[in-house]
Amino acid sequence: MYGTVIGVTLLGVHGRPVVVEAHIGRGLPSLTITGLPGASVQDGRDRIRPAVESSGLEWPLRRVVVNLSPGNLRKEGPGLDLPIAICVLCASAQVPRDRAAGLAFVGELSLRGALVPTPGVLSAAIAASRSGLRGVVVPEANAAEAALVEGLEVIGVRTLAEAVAYLRGSSTARLPASPPPPPREDPGVDFAEVRGQAHARRALEVAAAGGHNVLMVGSPGAGKTMLARRLATILPALSREEALEVTQLHSIAGLLGSSGLRSARPFRAPHHSISLAGLLGGGGSYLRPGEVSLAHHGVLFLDELTEFHRDAIEGLRQPLEDGRVVITRAAGSVEFPARFTLVAAANPCPCGYEGDPRRQCRCLPHRVQAYRQKLSGPLLDRIDIRLFVPRLSKAELLGEAAGEPSASIRERVDQARERQRRRYGHTGFSCNAQLPGPLARREAGISAGGQDVLARAVDTLALTGRGFDRAIKVARTIADLDGAHEVSSEHVAEALSYRMDLSEESLVRAG
Amino acid sequence: MFARADRPARRVGREPNRWPPGFADGQANRAALLVLMSLPGLSPRVLLALARREGDAASCLAAVRRGRAGSDADRELARSLRSEVIEAEVSAAGAEFVPVGCAGYPPQLEHLSDPPAGLFVVGRPAPSLAEAVAVVGARQCSQAGRELAASIGRHLGRAGACVVSGAARGIDAAAHEGALEVGGHTLAVLGCGIDRARPSSARSLLGRIASGGTAVSEYPPGVPPKPFRFPARNRIIAGLSRALVVVEGAEGSGSMISADHALDLGREVFAVPGAVTNPLAHVPNALIREGATLVRGGEDLLDDLGLDRLGLPGRSGDRSRPVPEVELSEGERAVFERVTGPVLPETLARELGLTLREVVPTLMVLEMKGLVRSAGGRVERRLPT
Repeated sequence: MYGTVIGVTLLGVHGRPVVVEAHIGRGLPSLTITGLPGASVQDGRDRIRPAVESSGLEWPLRRVVVNLSPGNLRKEGPGLDLPIAICVLCASAQVPRDRAAGLAFVGELSLRGALVPTPGVLSAAIAASRSGLRGVVVPEANAAEAALVEGLEVIGVRTLAEAVAYLRGSSTARLPASPPPPPREDPGVDFAEVRGQAHARRALEVAAAGGHNVLMVGSPGAGKTMLARRLATILPALSREEALEVTQLHSIAGLLGSSGLRSARPFRAPHHSISLAGLLGGGGSYLRPGEVSLAHHGVLFLDELTEFHRDAIEGLRQPLEDGRVVITRAAGSVEFPARFTLVAAANPCPCGYEGDPRRQCRCLPHRVQAYRQKLSGPLLDRIDIRLFVPRLSKAELLGEAAGEPSASIRERVDQARERQRRRYGHTGFSCNAQLPGPLARREAGISAGGQDVLARAVDTLALTGRGFDRAIKVARTIADLDGAHEVSSEHVAEALSYRMDLSEESLVRAG
Repeated sequence: MFARADRPARRVGREPNRWPPGFADGQANRAALLVLMSLPGLSPRVLLALARREGDAASCLAAVRRGRAGSDADRELARSLRSEVIEAEVSAAGAEFVPVGCAGYPPQLEHLSDPPAGLFVVGRPAPSLAEAVAVVGARQCSQAGRELAASIGRHLGRAGACVVSGAARGIDAAAHEGALEVGGHTLAVLGCGIDRARPSSARSLLGRIASGGTAVSEYPPGVPPKPFRFPARNRIIAGLSRALVVVEGAEGSGSMISADHALDLGREVFAVPGAVTNPLAHVPNALIREGATLVRGGEDLLDDLGLDRLGLPGRSGDRSRPVPEVELSEGERAVFERVTGPVLPETLARELGLTLREVVPTLMVLEMKGLVRSAGGRVERRLPT
C-alpha cells in the first residue's frame, strides 16, 4: 500500500518541491516521518490523524511511514500537513492516485480538518509552476496569492474533506485562473498633510529620486516620523516583478492575510528593542525574513536609531551593501532579498533639545559625546542625506502653506528614476545611490561651476573624501530631478546642504 | 566698574585679608603648609582664621596635630601625612608650590575673603592684575558663543593680555584656544589637582596651556574634580583678573557666581548680550541689566579696557559692519541681509519671494564664504573673524 504526492517546502524565499511518499505496512498503528523533517513538520504528525478522522475519512490503523525526499534537505513549515494527509489517503486508496498527479499540495491542517492560512503559498506556487506542475491545491484564504502565478491552476479549498472531494471528482472547488487585480492600496498618508518642513520634504524627494538613505536629526515633536512615513508614498510605483517579490516575502512571514498582490511599497518601522534575528531574519528552525526583507523595495524606518542594539545596527551593513541578507546555519545558508531605503531618525542629544532655540539642553557633556558616538560609525557612511529637522514654532507653522500632494512629487521622482535607468542601463545599477564613489566621480557629469563649488567646499567646509562622493551622488540626483544633463553649481550647492557633522561639539554641517 | 543698586558695594576697596607676616616663610613652614593644604576639612577660610591665631604654618600644623583645630579626620591625616611625599607628587606633576607671601604668588588674590594659602602652578608665572582678563561662560554653549569666545581670546592674546578661565568645555576652552592660537598668554584655574584634569579633551587642552601659558590650582595633586569645587575655583578666576567677560550662561549657571565674585572684588564685569528668548543669554543679559558693560566682541572689550590692538586690523570708525568685505553677488547679498536671527530657509524664501530651491544653494554659498552657518536646521549669521 503505497502513495505519492508533491508538497513544497520553503528555503528562504524560494519554494522547493518535495516528493511525499507513504507506505502502510504491518505493525502497531503509528506514523513515522523520515527524510529530515524539521520541527514544524514533526509537529504536524499528531494533528494529521485527528484532521483525517474529523473529515469523515479513515486513518489506517497500521504502521504508516511517510518519507520526504530529497532526504538531504531539511523540510520546514506547516504547509506539508496537507500533502502528507493526502498521501496517506492515496496509500489507503481513499483517494484515486492518478488524480493527485501533476498537483502540488500546500496547507496547514487544524484538528477538525480545516485548512488554515499558510505562509509562503506564493513561493510554493512559483516553485510548482517552475517544476512543470499543472496546479496547486491551497487553503482558500491563500488562493488569491497563488493565483498571481500565471498559467497555474489554483484550487482553493477550505477543508481536507473538500480537497478529497475535489480529487474524487465530486466537487469542482476551484478559483478563476486570474482574479481581478486588487485596487491600488491606499497608504493612508500623503505629503499634502505636512505643514512646514519644506527643506526636509525636499530632502525626502531627493532621497526618493536617487534611492538615497536618509538620517533625520531633530528634537522630539519635530515631525521626523510623520515625514518618514510619507516617503513610501513618493517612491516610484512597484513593477509587477517587484510587487511579486514583496508579496512573496510578506507571504512567507505570514503577513499577507487573504489579499493578493502587494502593490504599495512597504513601510516598516520596527521598535528599537528588536533583536538581530528580528531585524535581519532567522529564527530557530524555520527561518523567517526579518524587517529588512519585509521592507524590501520599500522603506525601513529606524526611529531612535541610537536606542537600537549595537549588533542590530552593525548587521544592517550587509543588506545596505548587497541588497540581500544571507543567514547561515549549520544546516546551510538561506538568502532573503533586502533592498530598501533606510530612513533613520534620532534626537540630537539624550534629552532631545540640543540646538533648540526655545529650550535649553540639560545633558551632561560626556553623555552627549557617548550619544553622538552611537550615531556615527560605519552605518553613517551608507547614508547620503542627513538633515536637521527643527521643531517649528507656532508662527513658523502658521506661516507655511500645506505641502504638495504625494502624487505630484512622485511624478518628478518617476521621471528622475527613468533618467537614471537609461543612464545606468548597461551597468547593472538602477539609481544614483548605488554608484560606487569612483564611478560617481567619473560619470556624474559635473559642470565646471559645480567643480568649483566642490573644490571650495573641500577647503571651507572640511568636506571629507566620503562626504565628497556623497555630495556628488546627491547632486546628480538633484540634476536628474531637474531634467538637467549636467550637474550645475546650484545642484552641487543644494546637495551640500544635506550634510551634517555629528561631532560632539555641535550639529553643524560638515562632510 | 559699577555697584549694583540693590546691593551696596560690600567689600570694594576693602583691606586685603593679610596672612600673618612670615606665615609661610622658611622650609619648615612651607612643609607644614603643604600638609595643611592637603587636609580636606581645612578650607582656606578656616586656615586663615587659624593662622591669625597661631602665627605661622608650622604652629598651625602643630595645633591641628594636637587636636586644637580641624576635625578628627584632619588630625589623623595631619599626623600621617609627610610633606616630602607631597613635595615629590608636586614635582612629579611638573608643578611648583607657591605659598602665600612668596615670590610668584599673585598678590591680587589676597583681596579675596578666603584667599588660598598657596597655589600649585605649572608653566609660566601667573600674570599681574593689570594683564589678566577672565573670559567665562557656559559649558554647553552654542556654536556662535564658542566662536565669539575664541575671537575674544584672540583679541586679548594679540593685545598682550592674559586670558584667564577655568579650562572647562565650551566657552572656557574656546577662550583658551583663541589665546593659544595667536601665541598669547593664557591661564587656567582648575577645580582639581593639577594632574587630575578630565575629560581627556580637557587634558589635551591643559597640556597646551601648561606648555605655553599657566595652569594653577589651590588643590594638591591627586584631588579629584568634583562639582562642589568649581564655585571655589571661580573665585580665583575672578580674583586673578582685572575684568571678567561673560559670554554665555543659562539660568543658574556658574557664570553668575563668577560675576558675583568679580563684583565683590570690585572688578569690571562685561557681558555679551543675546536675544531675550535665547536661554543661553540669560546670565549676560541679567548682568547687563544690573549694570555690567555690554560688549559686542573682542574689539569693544579692548576699547573699554584701553588695551592696544597690536597686530589687529586697523581701527575702523564704524564697527557695525552690516556686510563684511566679502565679494557677494546681488542675489547673495539680498539673502544675506535677510538672515537676521536664526531663521528657517523656507521662511527666508517666502520673505524674499523666492522658492526654497533658489534660496538653499545661495545659503550654501554664503556658508562657504563664512558668513552664515546652519545650526539646528536654521540659518544664522556668523561673526566676522
